[in-house]
Amino acid sequence: MQQDVYVIMPVFNEAPVIRSVVSAVSQVFPNIICVNDGSTDASAAEIEKTDAVLINHPFNLGQGAALKTGIDYALRDANAAYFITFDSDGQHQVADAVSMLAVAREGDYDIVLGSRFLGKAENIPSVRAAVLKAAVVFSNLTTGVRLTDAHNGLRVFNRRFAERIEITMPGMAHATEFIHWIAKSEFKYTEVPVTVVYTQYSQAKPQSVFNSINIGFDLLMRRISKR
Amino acid sequence: MIAIQVLLIGGIVTVLGWFVMNPRSQQVHAWIKILAAVFTSFGVVVIISPNTSNRVAHAVGVGRGADLLLYSLAVAFVYVMFSLYIRGKEEHAKFEILARTVALLEERLRELSDVLAERREESK
Repeated sequence: MQQDVYVIMPVFNEAPVIRSVVSAVSQVFPNIICVNDGSTDASAAEIEKTDAVLINHPFNLGQGAALKTGIDYALRDANAAYFITFDSDGQHQVADAVSMLAVAREGDYDIVLGSRFLGKAENIPSVRAAVLKAAVVFSNLTTGVRLTDAHNGLRVFNRRFAERIEITMPGMAHATEFIHWIAKSEFKYTEVPVTVVYTQYSQAKPQSVFNSINIGFDLLMRRISKR
Repeated sequence: MIAIQVLLIGGIVTVLGWFVMNPRSQQVHAWIKILAAVFTSFGVVVIISPNTSNRVAHAVGVGRGADLLLYSLAVAFVYVMFSLYIRGKEEHAKFEILARTVALLEERLRELSDVLAERREESK
């Protein structure tokens, strides 16, 4: 079952939860790639205790780079047909990934994006909700792709998409890059409602509001410096 | 010549000499070298006769030579900042490719050593 699917998880300092997240995913998906992005805690050791493939970045490169490394690794398997990006902090549900995959297979979509605003965002802090909604408006205006959630880490895409996408932004701005690629290459895409659970653990992580300013700045500078 | 002029000219000549002698300067674009040469010779001229900067300033519609210097420094500063930023990004991109290659190789190596260990077990 699901032998042609690879789950790619970027990991940065998730030692307390990574094992349980991997074991939940491995109930359904046998091929899991954990890209340890220069964690300074025991994440790597925790991953080694699981069946997941462990790839260690020698130092922190950012989530975009980690996804790229994972996709590159998975593409080496000629039988890999579908790729799932899944956050390693436990805020995504395996059941959502399964239903998104089913949608991708049945509808022959190139990419299926999870949307917490079509679905549920449990215990989402109001500031974060506001920032994320603003990001959606900004993304819809600049890319022309109509979405309800622009920065969700849960995505399912096929080989055609995986081979074509170039993630050039190493940090968190890669989420916008995914959408740019959808816009540019006319991939067949859809959104599926998912539940994102904001646990105490995930909220303690310093993915702050300031980060969205960084993302905006990165994207702006990229446009200016592009030749 | 007064002491400050000697000091400033000595400083400029030292920096220029260091730049020319440095083997790495061969990788610098020719037009940057020309620009550097023009700037340093202008600097020397201004140091020797400070009125030159005033005359240049008047010619382009700025009140004082010192103001003109400040304005051009501000522009140069922004340019340097921006080019350093771009340079940093480019270096980081190269760095990233290298790091990702190392990461994938390391994984391959682990795979390989697992296979080797298995074989060793079998041949025992």
